Amino acid sequence: MFLSTQLAEGVNLHIRQTTQFKTVSFSIKFRAPLDQQSAAERAVLSNVLQHSNGKFKKSAEFRSYLDDLFGTVLYFDASKRGSEHTLLLNVETVNDQYLQQNKVFNEVLDLINTAIFEPNLENGTFVPSIVEREKEMVTQRIQSIFDDKTRYAQYRLTQILRPNHPASISASGTIDTVKQITPESLTKTYQAMINEDKVDIYVVGDIDVEAVQKKLTEALPFKDRKAKETQQDTNESKAEKEYTKEQQEMKQGKLHIGFSTPVRFGDEDYAKMQIFNGVFGGYAHSKLFMNVREKESLAYYASSSYNSQYGLVYVVSGIEPSNEKKATDVIKEQLEAMKNGEITDLELTQTKAMLVNQLKETLDLARGQIEIYDQYKDLGETFSVDTWKERWDQVTKEDVQKMASQVQLEAVYFLCGKEA
Amino acid sequence: MKTIEFKQLDETLFYKKLPNGLDVYILPKKGFSKTFVTFTTKYGSIDRTFVPIGESEAITVPDGIAHFLEHKMFEKEDGDVFQQFSEAGASANAFTSFTRTAYLFSATDHIYKSTETLLNFVQEPYFTEKTVEKEKGIIGQEITMYDDQADWRLYFGAIENMYHSHPVKIDIAGTIESIDKITAEHLYTCYNTFYHPSNMLLFVVGAIDPTEMMAFIEDNQNKKEFSEPVQIERHFEEEPTCVAVKERELKMDVQKAKVYVGLKAKQTDLKGDEMLKHELSVQIALECLYGRASNFYTDVYENGLIDESFAYDFSLEKGYGFALIGSDSAQPDQLVTKIKEVINNAESLLTSDSLERVKRKKIGFYLRALNSMEFIANQFTRYEFNEMNLFDAVPVIEKLTLEDVTEALKTIQGEEQQTVFKVLPSSERAQ
Repeated sequence: MFLSTQLAEGVNLHIRQTTQFKTVSFSIKFRAPLDQQSAAERAVLSNVLQHSNGKFKKSAEFRSYLDDLFGTVLYFDASKRGSEHTLLLNVETVNDQYLQQNKVFNEVLDLINTAIFEPNLENGTFVPSIVEREKEMVTQRIQSIFDDKTRYAQYRLTQILRPNHPASISASGTIDTVKQITPESLTKTYQAMINEDKVDIYVVGDIDVEAVQKKLTEALPFKDRKAKETQQDTNESKAEKEYTKEQQEMKQGKLHIGFSTPVRFGDEDYAKMQIFNGVFGGYAHSKLFMNVREKESLAYYASSSYNSQYGLVYVVSGIEPSNEKKATDVIKEQLEAMKNGEITDLELTQTKAMLVNQLKETLDLARGQIEIYDQYKDLGETFSVDTWKERWDQVTKEDVQKMASQVQLEAVYFLCGKEA
Repeated sequence: MKTIEFKQLDETLFYKKLPNGLDVYILPKKGFSKTFVTFTTKYGSIDRTFVPIGESEAITVPDGIAHFLEHKMFEKEDGDVFQQFSEAGASANAFTSFTRTAYLFSATDHIYKSTETLLNFVQEPYFTEKTVEKEKGIIGQEITMYDDQADWRLYFGAIENMYHSHPVKIDIAGTIESIDKITAEHLYTCYNTFYHPSNMLLFVVGAIDPTEMMAFIEDNQNKKEFSEPVQIERHFEEEPTCVAVKERELKMDVQKAKVYVGLKAKQTDLKGDEMLKHELSVQIALECLYGRASNFYTDVYENGLIDESFAYDFSLEKGYGFALIGSDSAQPDQLVTKIKEVINNAESLLTSDSLERVKRKKIGFYLRALNSMEFIANQFTRYEFNEMNLFDAVPVIEKLTLEDVTEALKTIQGEEQQTVFKVLPSSERAQ
């Protein structure tokens, strides 16, 4: 689906021509190994690059220019996958053919060049006042987790489940690591990003492939680099505690349970594990939804998610605090049932149909096409929906039972009000 | 079947009003594998006092009933409708807003099967006292979940401040106490009054043949019997222009304060093209004044009065409307002062330069949004219920003048229309 070429060693361009969308989407991903300090540096760096650049030194000027380009969306962001940190620049602009006047495409390409290669520097480093301001913004983003109880409970569970491990490192770092950043350290981080990171550039839209290849080669003059190989996390992190209860002023109880599985993204059993999760709690037909919610009326939401990068399965549910034991039991019973092979043909059919549908729907979005391709390209095979549909189709009840038998409960985290 | 072409956007919309009164719109999308279908009734949480179909006296039903009814539509004598959608690989969902209840699904395969499931489950109510009781536990947890969400409490706190009696001030899901009073009989009364096809709209967007799809829908509808459509009579009390409460706060277990300035709209009787122009004018005025390229934004950002949560929005429906502007902030009172300064001096701050810039931004927004089937289906329905057309938005924006936006802004500008609501860290955790 994407046409890939190399702009420089370690820098790849992936282009997809399609008439599906009224816009053209770009995504430029810079990748480096994930650790607490560099995550913090790169999160603040993404904010600083978003704020201004050498051509538009004030944020308002930068934003005005984007508005003038028919509200071209341009933002930097920080995320992570497995043991890698990604600093990314996403841009989406209206395809010229839908505008009565003005050609914006070339201006957007120039702007991408500016945003990446012309940072707003003073005496060779980032502007101290901007750095301080954006450090504060990232700090507040980290702190805001506390004010959202569901996110906070999930954050706490992950910390308990996998301490000192990529699974519990935030893409924004920590308050302490953000504090240590200086304009000098940030400038070094920027230079490392430009010169050493593994870079993938994506373009999706109704474009002339050759012309865009040529223009981007000019707009993105990256040099060759030997990108650092990031290995999968090897450290044997284990849950600190099997049960943790914490209290805040709140009404609902947040029950978050962490399980482990040896199966990870790209493993032979990966497709089977996806089916396991769908039957367990991935959808509205799943065991968790049908039992915790529909049968027992214990919750409004009860679901599971499979994080294949770290080999973890999370179950989350919001319950009346006094029902903690009952809800925990019902959740455990669903896993037990699957271990005992209580999996119906209907559950399998439904889950397979939903997985195929989800994949096809994701591919209807420009961002979806980019993310799927970006993830699956590392498997060293040509991605196609049919390949995955076939893999899911072959999964049997026995396979899912086997997956269930390898799933182990490691940690229960319960967040609730003070009087409970 | 009528066809409506939008040349600049390269879209063709197909429309038919069926004999039973149902409005059906179909928008084929080339190159997509997905289809998204919404089936929406013009019935939301604000419709609490009305004359039930076939009766003459108005009644008031328990708060939260439209949302409760939405939940209960999914349960049938032979089980849960989600099961059927899943089997066909369709993701189904539903939502209730102040003015609408929508049932929807998206799928890439078995579209006709799922369309049939959607039409049938929404048109075949099944409520018993037992299933109604069972749902109270589930919705009770939904209400409790929202009770703990500081952002939700902030939003409703601001709306409560603005309204004296209009039911927009009541939480869409009601309260644990109010839903406890709901019976199966209530649900049938509401269902029979508001789920007549003449009060509903079906929108299909995606990888479909419009002629075939229209025939399929018509065939499904023609097999069912409905009573004659009746004009629905809804009752609302007179609502003054001024806000009910000028200032109020709530303590919660949060680290940082949150604040909204609410501006209550005084022009809430528009519809059609007038409403579209008015709504877009106010939105554009707010963007000029508070957007990221504004002087206001630079000022409050650089002085640390806001963070990434800063937002502003304008909502308008028949009978109510309001703008909300606010952020998480360590200095909420200073932020409020700044926000008010801008609204009070708006005439001198609105310039033709900023207007032209924001108009371009807004046009870009609509063109981007037309990539999203969810946006098209949901927004088209909302527009249509207010007799506006979503696809007219871009040409209307192109024609807006500085006078248009300045005049429109005046309807939310009055001092008596302003309110402030804050969520503050409870003392124990105050820093």
